[in-house]
Amino acid sequence: MWRYVARRLGQAIPTVIGVVLITFVLFNVVGGSPAALVLGQNAGARSLEEFDAARGYDKPLFCGHWTKTRALEAVDFATAGPGARAAWGAGATGGLRLEDGQELVLPLAFPLPADGRWRLTVEGRGPGFPQDGKKFSTVWKKVFHGVEKPAFRAAGGWAEIRRVRLEKGTRHFFDSQLADYARRVARLDFGTSTSLNQPVGRLLRAGFGPSLALTVPILVVELAVSLTLALLCAYRRGSWLDRSLVAVCVALMSVNYLVWIVFGQFVLAYKLGWFPVWGFESWRNLLLPILIGVATGLGTNVRFYRTILLEEMHKDYVRTAFAKGLGEGRVLFKHVLKNALGPVIVNVALALPFLYTGSLLLESFFGIPGLGYLSLNAIHSADVDVVRAVVLVGALLFTAANVLADIALAWVDPRVKLS
Amino acid sequence: MNASAQPEESACGAAPGRAAWRQVWASRTARACLAVLAVFFLVALGAEIAHAWYAWRDVTPPWQAQDLAARYQAPGAAHWLGTDGLGRDVGLRLAQGARIAFQVGVVSSLIAIPIGVLLGCLGGYFGGKTDDVVTWLATTFASIPGLLFVLAIAMVVGKGLLGVFLAIGLTTWVSTCRLIRAETLRQKGRGYVRAAQALGFSHGRILFRHVLPNVVHVALVSFTLRFPAAIGTEVFLSFLGLGAQGQPSWGTMIASARLRLWQGMWWELAAVTAAIFAVVLAFNLLGDVLRDALDPRLRTAPE
Repeated sequence: MWRYVARRLGQAIPTVIGVVLITFVLFNVVGGSPAALVLGQNAGARSLEEFDAARGYDKPLFCGHWTKTRALEAVDFATAGPGARAAWGAGATGGLRLEDGQELVLPLAFPLPADGRWRLTVEGRGPGFPQDGKKFSTVWKKVFHGVEKPAFRAAGGWAEIRRVRLEKGTRHFFDSQLADYARRVARLDFGTSTSLNQPVGRLLRAGFGPSLALTVPILVVELAVSLTLALLCAYRRGSWLDRSLVAVCVALMSVNYLVWIVFGQFVLAYKLGWFPVWGFESWRNLLLPILIGVATGLGTNVRFYRTILLEEMHKDYVRTAFAKGLGEGRVLFKHVLKNALGPVIVNVALALPFLYTGSLLLESFFGIPGLGYLSLNAIHSADVDVVRAVVLVGALLFTAANVLADIALAWVDPRVKLS
Repeated sequence: MNASAQPEESACGAAPGRAAWRQVWASRTARACLAVLAVFFLVALGAEIAHAWYAWRDVTPPWQAQDLAARYQAPGAAHWLGTDGLGRDVGLRLAQGARIAFQVGVVSSLIAIPIGVLLGCLGGYFGGKTDDVVTWLATTFASIPGLLFVLAIAMVVGKGLLGVFLAIGLTTWVSTCRLIRAETLRQKGRGYVRAAQALGFSHGRILFRHVLPNVVHVALVSFTLRFPAAIGTEVFLSFLGLGAQGQPSWGTMIASARLRLWQGMWWELAAVTAAIFAVVLAFNLLGDVLRDALDPRLRTAPE
């Protein structure tokens, strides 16, 4: 048994690594720095750079000695637009031409801070361009180090500049966003919310309770109701009761989630006044969201449990039980239900981690300050750290629940260990 | 070589397909569902043509034309499904919403099904390290909470339909992949695959010419199951303002109808609800019938 537990835990490690990688790729590689979204369109390059530096977005994604900076946008005069050409004082077409003794003026967005290492790469040609011994090349490249004077002067003739790039040095080769992220995940440090200015960890803890207050009752009530209905269907399978219940289930599945909420809030709470419309003051506020939550999942669950029960009823031991002369009810409740518990347990265990994310829409419609409410607000205000933390924690809990479900199943049913 | 493979393929692929189709057609439910879906498709197609026409003419299409004199009109002769808070015809907007829903269902499937089928086939056929990688990818994607993952992708990609397509496509390939992988594993042990291997065919040829036609019905069933889910997700994203921008979709219609409901304007919400219900119900029922016909092991109906 312990060997199985160890093996199953070992299998979870690649999944955890995969989840960390996916969130990294999604938010850092594809998404990039949220600086412009958070600080707004009119923020200067300097404040954007400081925002990036504070959150580690200024580092290279995976590894590297040099990283890009917002102080100077890299320019290639072959493809540069008119705006960039004007900023550099270049002509309408071609490279930037410098006369003898003329210095290249970098259109820096802000003066370079003195504490960094900088590297300026200039590509060009012409007699004034430093040739470094290469006489016959058509394009020469010159790299300047140092922050004091990242500048270039044409000496001994004209020079034509093709490309210019300014980069900032990193502390060491592996000082990257990925390393930062992995280190922070290992420490369970989820960063700071940009919209609420609070540590994400604290926000998650605060939202945990309200979310559970909503989702645990939904899970319990739904399980009880749908198992009962599924048993009823299996007991009277093929009858009009079974067929109409299945039909109702498919119909329930087809009503959009939003419609349930809008209808419930408008008709049941506002028009009829049976429930409070909004807020999180007493248990009465939770009644309607729980009712809607149960209604939305009922169709799928009843059908699922019914299928499991019916599958079980085709097995040999059921036929034997009937042949012994046991009654329908006794076979169903004592034999079939017990053997069908495996898939039911797995289904419930896999639903457990979703309790934590709460119900996104129910929470924001009914004003329940849980994690769903938090994440929807974070998505609206582009609060990347919060969204990433919720996704990551949800995925880790799901993986953990998966492992636990498998171990529980192996404990209940020893055959599982062999497969 | 080619000729010897041909009859076997047709015997395995086409005949059960025709039998399954006959079984589907024999069901009255399936015919009703197909009729509903045909109407949905025609409406979406008409809306697409109208959309392209007005975009080409560069004039304001009638579903965007505001008529403040005709605000809040209940369903009647002039506007069959009434008008909304800006005097726009609900029926025309509903048709445009059908266009978006159809696009989302098709495009997200075009992203998800190829990924799922390819990975599932490779994993199931080659096994070993390849299978480990496929299983790892599928497990990783499956362990991220679905709706949050969709929202995060839509947020990162940005507002608009592209985000919706990618979000739905990149999160829902896992179920297709798992079904295809299981089916490929089953087919791999069958005689025709071993015969093809014995004949010295390349792996690519066996996989794509012989195995693929025999597992493709799984993709068909998964298509009918994913379509309603994709519509639901699009409605959800558009409702939150992450989906369709500046054009009527069922989600944005619900978002505006929800607020007007408090002023007693029920018909917009009723129309959208009925449209979503009809399409999703038709897909769900058709999916059940198709699954019973194509994959008897997954039978859901009582005997």
